[in-house]
Amino acid sequence: MSDGGAFSNSDGGGSVSNSGGSNSGGSVTGALAADRVSFAYPAPRFRGGVHGTRHDGTLHNGTLHNVSLHLAPSSSTALVGSSGSGKSTLVRILLALAKPSAGTVALGAREVRPGLARSLRWYRQAVQYIPQNPAGSLDPRMTVSQLLGEPLRQLRVAGNHRALVGEALERVEVPAGLMERRPGELSGGQNQRVAIARALAVQPAYLLADEPVSGLDLPLRDTVLSLLSSLVREEGLGLLLVTHDLGTAARMCGTTSVMAHGRIVEHGPTHRVLDSPGSPEAAALVQASAALHFPPAVPAGAAP
Amino acid sequence: MPAPALSVTDLALSSGGRQLVHPLTFSLAAGERVALLGASGSGKSLTAAALAGSLPEGISAGGTITFGAGSGAGSGKDRAALIRQDPATALNPLVPIGRQLAIPLRSAGYSRPDAKAEAARLLARAGIGEPALFLPRYTGQLSGGQLQRVCIALALACGTPVLVADEPTTALDAVTQNTVLETLRMWSTGGRSLLFITHDLAAAASLCTRALVMEAGRIVEQAPMADLLRNPLHPYTVRLVQAASGSADSSAEGAAARSATATAVAA
Amino acid sequence: MPGGTAFVKVTVSRVLALVALVVLIGMMPWLSGRGAEYTILRARYSDREPTPEALAAVRAELGLEQGPLPLFLSWIRGVFAGDLGTSWISNTPVAPGIVSALSVSVTLMAFALAAAAIIALLLCTPAVMDGLRQRRRPASGALSAALTSLPEFLLAAMLLVAGAIWLRWFPPFGWKGPEYAVLPALSLGIPAGGLIGLLASDAIRAGFAEQWVATWRMSGAGPVRLTAAVLRRALPAVLPQIGLVLIGLTGGAVAVEKVYAIPGLGRALLGAASAQDIPTLQAGMLALMGLALLVGTLTTAARYLLIGPAVRFGTLPLAEPPRPGNRRQLALPAAAGVTLLLIVGAGLLREPFTSDHARLAAPGWSLPFGADASGRDLLARVGHGAVGTLGTALVVVLACLVVGIAVGLFPLAATGPLEVANAAPPILAGLVVAALSGPSAHGAAVAVAAVSWAPLAAHTAALAQEARAQPYVQILPVLGVGRARIMFRYVLPAVAWPLLRHAMLRLPGVALALAALGFLGLGPQQPTPEWGLILAEGIGYVERAPWAVLAPASALVLASVVAVGLAGAGHGARVTAVNSAGAVPLPGTDPVPAQERVQAPAGAR
Repeated sequence: MSDGGAFSNSDGGGSVSNSGGSNSGGSVTGALAADRVSFAYPAPRFRGGVHGTRHDGTLHNGTLHNVSLHLAPSSSTALVGSSGSGKSTLVRILLALAKPSAGTVALGAREVRPGLARSLRWYRQAVQYIPQNPAGSLDPRMTVSQLLGEPLRQLRVAGNHRALVGEALERVEVPAGLMERRPGELSGGQNQRVAIARALAVQPAYLLADEPVSGLDLPLRDTVLSLLSSLVREEGLGLLLVTHDLGTAARMCGTTSVMAHGRIVEHGPTHRVLDSPGSPEAAALVQASAALHFPPAVPAGAAP
Repeated sequence: MPAPALSVTDLALSSGGRQLVHPLTFSLAAGERVALLGASGSGKSLTAAALAGSLPEGISAGGTITFGAGSGAGSGKDRAALIRQDPATALNPLVPIGRQLAIPLRSAGYSRPDAKAEAARLLARAGIGEPALFLPRYTGQLSGGQLQRVCIALALACGTPVLVADEPTTALDAVTQNTVLETLRMWSTGGRSLLFITHDLAAAASLCTRALVMEAGRIVEQAPMADLLRNPLHPYTVRLVQAASGSADSSAEGAAARSATATAVAA
Repeated sequence: MPGGTAFVKVTVSRVLALVALVVLIGMMPWLSGRGAEYTILRARYSDREPTPEALAAVRAELGLEQGPLPLFLSWIRGVFAGDLGTSWISNTPVAPGIVSALSVSVTLMAFALAAAAIIALLLCTPAVMDGLRQRRRPASGALSAALTSLPEFLLAAMLLVAGAIWLRWFPPFGWKGPEYAVLPALSLGIPAGGLIGLLASDAIRAGFAEQWVATWRMSGAGPVRLTAAVLRRALPAVLPQIGLVLIGLTGGAVAVEKVYAIPGLGRALLGAASAQDIPTLQAGMLALMGLALLVGTLTTAARYLLIGPAVRFGTLPLAEPPRPGNRRQLALPAAAGVTLLLIVGAGLLREPFTSDHARLAAPGWSLPFGADASGRDLLARVGHGAVGTLGTALVVVLACLVVGIAVGLFPLAATGPLEVANAAPPILAGLVVAALSGPSAHGAAVAVAAVSWAPLAAHTAALAQEARAQPYVQILPVLGVGRARIMFRYVLPAVAWPLLRHAMLRLPGVALALAALGFLGLGPQQPTPEWGLILAEGIGYVERAPWAVLAPASALVLASVVAVGLAGAGHGARVTAVNSAGAVPLPGTDPVPAQERVQAPAGAR
């Protein structure tokens, strides 16, 4: 998959120099890539949790077949697909939380495998993660400074941690006065920001965001997406945004990969995928998000 | 104007002296698809439960609900079929779906093989390809969208003239939502009526011809869908329309959306 | 990774636990240590002095010199050849006695099962009727809770007094015809049936509350069809617990057979344990283990049969209905607790050991509970007994808490030991410990602790799983937090407090188990004031001095009521915890006041 051209229209090329100096993870540079990754759950599974069914009717719970994905530094890529298409599995593999049955994940020239926390510190500092409903990932018993300090301590990040925490909070526009509060004492929007600040505090080179707004209502959704896109632009972060919504993809990312049935069925500039989808699965996604987005056309026969 | 398929007169729901739904009056014509819009807590799901005769205990209902006689096959049913947000619990997980579809068919007098054939036919009508393969399956083998369509097929099998769909697409992803909406559109052919309950204006607009807007237990606006979108009157409706169009503007995909919708409408 | 390895781990763990159990039984002669040869010398050659030579001769004769492994191997070889060994006491083969005792016990259990089935059916009928009439009540557990609350040894004693001595309807002792089985069968069947009825009616109510029942009604399914479908859906969830109740009958049978002097396996084992006749005990334990395996296999098979092919596709778990947790239901346990405290307080001020009163003196102002057969103040003995029993119970519970947490954090590997400990009745554990080390308070405590950690471990496992599923724990590996830190810094604090609470709720139950061992003579010995022991002493005089039974029995009944009330409260708390973690709550069954409840359906976006 050589889509070098596809990444050329991604934003942020010029802004890297702005903040590049603050990236202490600068020792690790280069592309984050999954190379021909496959994954299958052992059958039969004992638990429920069926997410999707292939057109031939067999189940596929997030299996992957020979998936390759290449994220250039400071580029934004959307990973789009309906539920059960394997997006979340791919993210788990990229985060070194699951081991692919075949294929490799590498950051720059260095290969990444699930393993002990200690052996993955370099990788965790370079690649951070924003989960679904970010605020839910904050331990309610910890204060903001404890929450942000934990990854700094555990990843042995160099520098004054307190200063780094303050800096990260500043970037997401959370007042430093809230440092000793707990999530229960903050507003929903503030908590979303704190969760994003926690990922930023270790100054990663890449952010993987797995449906970061799908659990949120409209105004909050907008806040989180705006914050993410401005951060990515200003900090020169590489972003992989997982979403089932093409609208969000179009708003955030220059490049889009479409997943279906555990494969990447389409990859290219977002506007091309939207305008002329080249696979039936992508076409179905485009049609669905068109039908479900405003302003809808009034259906036939609605005229009084 | 023929007799309505469903007419609701002064339906009021209360619990322990607290009025949850103030007297409602509305009707559904045969073959009509009507949206009941409202935020969570506005009383729309309780109204749905009342129409389906499955009110939670402790809620007392007043007023009358009348089902019309002239609404296609299987008249004489005195309540609406109901499908809910979570289809996984709507069917027995231990019984193959073919056997569950056969329950109403067998009691309607079908022989065993006839019931099986009819069940397969109904599944196909609900948009499930290769229905014969689906009959021996269990709910644990089906996805949410497929289960919703099986539930719609079951409602077809029951011969109820009115279907109340309570947020049937909320838990589904975009592509699956679309297929379920297609199936609901099919429902209203043949004189069957649909009451589609949702907080999602876009989904309602793509499916329904008329809308009722509920807020705090009252219907605050009712209008044909086109009018409602063009000229919302009540503040809540105005906000609803604004919020929906606002999110679309910011998502910078209007062109694609519009062109795709055009094809969907043409289809 | 989940499916395959988990299954392998669980299976390996189960097999290992069973093997360990057999090895334990096989090594009992070696484990019994130096006491064994004295026992035999005394039993068989009462004329010989216990000289070192004589003892060595006995050891050689029994093969105790060859070490644990050869001893085990020769025993297991014998078992496979159909030779269960020779009694140390009577020097005759063990097998024939065990077989005839087992047949008596199995007959008794069949009667008990019939009684339990009738009681369970009676308790489930209202649940089915409510379900068919679409009434959703919280499970009304008062009656079944009352039935469940009485331990078998206490019920047996009470029924003996009422049915055989006061009413004279049934013979008090022996095993000569069906009429001899009625009281023992009731003693075993009432608590078991009460518990089974409680579990099953809860499951039936939960089944009727499920959405698909409404769908089936809409489809025109009739009441018979609906009931059958609900039963099929509900029963698999409780069958494992029903299996445990049935296995628990074997423990209860020991007490019941002792009270009614029935020549069954339980009484044979009790005799063997007190006489340290290890081969008999070995054979009996093996028989009971086989019985437990049979019951476990049958209930598992029944469960798979009921669920059918859908078992492969992960059926949804059955939501538990709310247990009555309101003030009215807690009033009775609270009153019982206060009464108990008053009795204990009054008793502690008096002297329990000296025989200051007339033998079996009747209750009066100066002697509120009367005196026992040695002329000791019964109120004082009951009061002091509470301290001993409850104090030991506290130690046992804390030990169980530590073991439970340690085991529960590694739930898959611990499945086998957990199931064995959960199924093993404390009385059987007490028999083994008493046979090995002689009856003592410590022995009873060790025995009860050995089988009482299982529920705490299971609860730990559930809580830990819940804690690990929280989004804020799931993200930790990405933040660089290692496994050990996740466990100790995040998971353990989340589970510690509810577990401590759960452990304290088990206190009265553990105290009753200790009392049961005391009653059977497997716990503290005379003159220690221990509730079970006091009851056992009094029961011989029940016709002349009912108060000798009444005083300890009423203390035990009060403790039972408290135990069941607390267990119910703990159960409720646990269900709420599970629900808040995201189990699908069913509209109309959630334990919230009606006003909030009606918002629930509307609130589900």
